[in-house]
Amino acid sequence: MSVIAAVSQFVLGALFDLNRPGHYVHWGFIQLSVANLVVIGIMIVLFVAAILIPYRREGGDR
Amino acid sequence: MSPTSRSERRSRSFKPDRDVVEWHGAYVRYDLVKEFLVALGVVALLVVLLTVAFSSPDETPVTVRSWSTNNPVDFAQTAITELDGTSESATYGPPYNTGSNDTQSIGFFSPEKWVGVHIPINTAQDFVIGPLRTLPDRPDVRAALDRYQAAPASQQQAWTAAYEKAVANATFSNGVLHVAPGSYGPVGAIIGDLTSMARSGALDGALVSSKQFYSTDYTKPLLFIADGNYLSDLAGAQHLQGNQWGMMNETGNYPGQAWLWLYTLWYQVPPMNSSSSGDLQVWAIMMLLSLVMILVPFIPGLRSVPRWSRVYRLIWRQHYRSLATAPGASAKT
Repeated sequence: MSVIAAVSQFVLGALFDLNRPGHYVHWGFIQLSVANLVVIGIMIVLFVAAILIPYRREGGDR
Repeated sequence: MSPTSRSERRSRSFKPDRDVVEWHGAYVRYDLVKEFLVALGVVALLVVLLTVAFSSPDETPVTVRSWSTNNPVDFAQTAITELDGTSESATYGPPYNTGSNDTQSIGFFSPEKWVGVHIPINTAQDFVIGPLRTLPDRPDVRAALDRYQAAPASQQQAWTAAYEKAVANATFSNGVLHVAPGSYGPVGAIIGDLTSMARSGALDGALVSSKQFYSTDYTKPLLFIADGNYLSDLAGAQHLQGNQWGMMNETGNYPGQAWLWLYTLWYQVPPMNSSSSGDLQVWAIMMLLSLVMILVPFIPGLRSVPRWSRVYRLIWRQHYRSLATAPGASAKT
């Protein structure tokens, strides 16, 4: 591999390579990828945060 | 509106899930455009950062060439079913042909039948005979095709049946398909030549050829590939098949279409998981649920759930707390 190719691969390549065999959670007919579970978890955390994080006090912009 | 109905409306009782109390309190200025622009900027920044960090799925496309190169026996076994008209595509039904193997319906409701055949596909002609006739300088191929097409239907059926039986135990080595000898007439040469054509990549081009300069219609190669086991096996290895709740998965370690969790859930539940009209049944359930969601404000009981659950008081708890602590005030919904 040439130096230019190696450098360009380092610069342009993804920091985290997800193009690898996936990991799955299997329970009965439920077979979810761990990546999807992470996304679902993040969505739940954001939902709870959106409810619980207080609005700015009056006197600010709103 | 008549005067009577106006007076009826005035006199009817107030219902908190249907009627709205006019707000007489203070108003606070709020810049909605600013919020939109800030949200747009944050999301755009997140998209750029996540794209740089994770890139995107990079699976090699499945083509007829890759299929016939990696599994030529499966290709030949599928090709003979296209020639004798027993493949899934050949017997699918509308919109491709008049078969009824995969036509779905719920009672009288059958959109496929109503629309009819509007993408006509004859698998023997479109997938096998037509592409082979495009090969230049191949009189032997043309002679085999002429002999096959000139034979009566019963003879064609006898040849294809004999070949289908023989190709079940076929092997492939040194670039040649090895099928046990049998009385299958020109069919052996036809399928052998089609396999060689597929492995060269020429069949991909022949299947997508169109009158337009740029061809984007991949219906024929996709149907052909889907009739074999190769694509299905690849999908199974990547956990992407429907019976694995896999329609929401993505290749590799990428998150997929998690929002399809409900849509794909119905495919795992009886009778949809074994019904020949499963797709239509799942679609009907989702349409019904979508209709219920759209009509929530008009459905008594369901429209009161937010008022009963009181989640809104959790979101606007500062407001209700201030109302409760205000002198002479009481917190009301």
